[in-house]
Amino acid sequence: MSASELIRRDFRTCGSALPIDSDSFYVYNVGIVAEVLGAFEQAVLLTVVDLDDEAYGRAILRGAQIGLMRELAAGAIYSTLDRLEQKGLLSSHLGEGTAERGGRARRYYRITAAGVRALNESRSLLERMWQGARWPIKA
Amino acid sequence: MADQSVDMTSKEPPLWLRRALLLVLSVRDRETIFGDLLEEYQKEHLPSEGSRRANYWYLKQVASLALAQALGGSLLKQALILSSSFVIAAGTWLGVMENILKHSGYAERTAIAAGIAIQGIATLLFCLLNGGLAFRILVATGAMAILFVGGSAVINSLSAPHFEGFVIVIGAALIVEALLTFAAVLRSRQRAAA
Repeated sequence: MSASELIRRDFRTCGSALPIDSDSFYVYNVGIVAEVLGAFEQAVLLTVVDLDDEAYGRAILRGAQIGLMRELAAGAIYSTLDRLEQKGLLSSHLGEGTAERGGRARRYYRITAAGVRALNESRSLLERMWQGARWPIKA
Repeated sequence: MADQSVDMTSKEPPLWLRRALLLVLSVRDRETIFGDLLEEYQKEHLPSEGSRRANYWYLKQVASLALAQALGGSLLKQALILSSSFVIAAGTWLGVMENILKHSGYAERTAIAAGIAIQGIATLLFCLLNGGLAFRILVATGAMAILFVGGSAVINSLSAPHFEGFVIVIGAALIVEALLTFAAVLRSRQRAAA
């Protein structure tokens, strides 16, 4: 099962498992808030999922720029990748070097099961927050 | 490993920029991020923009990585950056005041103040750059020296007939700086080993 299929499946499970009016909802919700990802982290994780086997630093940077519709600094992307890996939401491995890189290896990233869960929880939380709100909000 | 015999010296960014990038990157990222930037420089920026604009693009990447290195990182690193900045300011202020007031033995105390400021600068560089083992040993040795200076200053000031508040504050800051440096050096050693 690919990471994107896993996300869809996990999201359905997550969405249907929330009993809104019970105490357990509040307990679960506190857990979600603690784990919620920022928009930048979500964009990076979604790009890694989208790129699949081709998710390395510069490709992720370009993908996240398209997703967020703005230019991003290399430092911001690489430090976010490092942080997400330290949190256990991404894993990485070294690939082969090529001549155009002077023989230097690429670091490829993959989303972990915890990363999939964190993405789904972030999406689920946002959807719940916006439920019932009229869009666009008028002052 | 791919073929490294390809001559790309004429297609590479300036040497000083490549060296700056290596200083900014951690040991773990030196090969991969360096390779990422080189690949994009050669494949996209150099052919379409020419060497001047491509070099400017490369410089921007190095600057953004340096900024991320300075602002990001652990609480320990941020605390060390803060305390180093204070130590630099304190050392400089002590040195300047000694030279203005010129009390007896001021030359010796100016040298100590300069040493304190230099240790602060070295610790700040240690936080911002990724120096090797020799640099880590140097910074740790300096930390031991300022721990001694700070400890002596606090003890002497507490037992002296005239209470000097600023000596206690600077002495305590030197002790904190030294302890934070030991922790950061130890952590960077563990990270390098991993």
